[in-house]
Amino acid sequence: MIVAEQLVKRYGPVTALDGFDLTVAPGEIVGLIGHNGAGKTTFAEIVAGLVRPDAGRVEVTGTPGLSPQEPALYLPATVRQNLRLFAGLAGLHGRRLRAAVDEIATALRVTGLLDRPVGTLSGGQRRRVQAATAMVQRPAALLLDEPTVGADPASREALLQVVRDRAGDGAAVCYTTHYLPELDDLDATLAVAARGRVIARGPRARLLDGLPGHVAVRFAGPVPAALREQGTVIDGELHIPTTDPAATLGALLRDGHSPTGVDMRKPTLDDLYHVLAVPPAVASPAAASPAGVPHV
Amino acid sequence: MFDRRRRGRRLIRIGALVRHNLGLLVREPGPLVSRIVVPLLLMSLMAPLYRAAMPDGGTAAAVTGVGVTFSLLALSIVGTSILSERTWHTWDRLRATAAHPAELLAGKAVPAVAVLAVQQAALFTYGSWILGLRIAHPALLATAAGAWILALLGLGAAIGTLAPSHGALSAACDLGSVLTTCLGGALVPLAVLPGWARAVAPVSPGYWAVTAMRAALSGEPGTTLRHGAVLVGLGLAAGALACWRISRGWGRSRLL
Repeated sequence: MIVAEQLVKRYGPVTALDGFDLTVAPGEIVGLIGHNGAGKTTFAEIVAGLVRPDAGRVEVTGTPGLSPQEPALYLPATVRQNLRLFAGLAGLHGRRLRAAVDEIATALRVTGLLDRPVGTLSGGQRRRVQAATAMVQRPAALLLDEPTVGADPASREALLQVVRDRAGDGAAVCYTTHYLPELDDLDATLAVAARGRVIARGPRARLLDGLPGHVAVRFAGPVPAALREQGTVIDGELHIPTTDPAATLGALLRDGHSPTGVDMRKPTLDDLYHVLAVPPAVASPAAASPAGVPHV
Repeated sequence: MFDRRRRGRRLIRIGALVRHNLGLLVREPGPLVSRIVVPLLLMSLMAPLYRAAMPDGGTAAAVTGVGVTFSLLALSIVGTSILSERTWHTWDRLRATAAHPAELLAGKAVPAVAVLAVQQAALFTYGSWILGLRIAHPALLATAAGAWILALLGLGAAIGTLAPSHGALSAACDLGSVLTTCLGGALVPLAVLPGWARAVAPVSPGYWAVTAMRAALSGEPGTTLRHGAVLVGLGLAAGALACWRISRGWGRSRLL
């Protein structure tokens, strides 16, 4: 269980957290998304006990397993030595320690790397090893900050499977990523951070409800003038934002238009992320407060 | 029951840290070996020179002088082991585990103390067996060496936590060691140093180490313990500075 209430953290003139609330229940995976500087890493540092908040309360069950954004491993030591250290620091020893190391190495497909110094591994392999050091001791709370950066698809799937397994065993998982389809794969509930606080929190379906998807239509010739004001023309295609792509396309066809190509897209996490988490300087005024998005 | 279990976990964690840090030291044995073997060679070459210049106590001057000089150079081993944690960003990961800061420091200190103790033991054993050094009071010498090791540990930790880079650490250790040993009378006996150098000698940790060890070799408990106490105080002060710096961490947030 991770409970953070009204966390505030300032670094001089910079307010990193400004009333950050987030609760992750046992067995739940929360995908924490937000632009750089939204407060995700500071939140993780506070939960991990590395930084003291200026105000607010944080409560965590046990010692959380932490896989920070920046690779943090002993480069001259082997993968096995790194794993043994973190398992030992969690109180494992003897046969239990060896079993835990072997289990996580197999699950994350690093068995073949166990006796190689970490300094000789690729960036993606180091990330996997780092995630392994965070999960080797089966903590009751997990903080994973972009653990799949640089991972190939098979390694990414292996890592996501271990995260799902740990959650299945009752761990509270806070998973930060900019690669949003991963959160679908994890069936994670979402928390969107912006400007030091969580501005939206809930199941994916509820957060996406009411967000615009789009219909992109191509014509044999130029886009008909009558349709241009309904959307934006990009590379000869008309992109129409809509919450109901099928109904929008149906209306076009009923009006007698004959597109030669159609692409319909339902709202995705990328749309949510763009609408909610993009800094105000980048987001359009209309996008800054979307209708129908449940705020907290 | 609960306390015993908690103590057991603490020992497991310290054991894991000690094993790990020893493993890291052994992975790069070059600095360790050179800081043990080179002083033995230098001591052999310098002993006749010291004996000729100081008929009374020349061997003791050679052994303690070279010993203190090279144990100061071993500061870089302690400093590097801490600075590396910073450059690898692993220190914060250790802080995020269940290990108490005192356990983390113990895990760092035990291998470093072992290295320094092996170095001191090698120097004095070699001096005694090969160069004929007379040790009047071995237990007193062990006390002086222990106090010196504590001071080195604290100084090394302070340098390791304050140095901004490996280059800066190396420069600080080399320059600091040479200045400290020269001023402290380790390489050149204090009696032949200029007056101003003799006046500032007590500023140097090397001075207290050399005088404590020479007093121990001649069996003078009072001087040994007094000067040893200064070394312990220095080690504790430097260690406290290192602990304070470590407790602030070096997380990314500090750079915001």
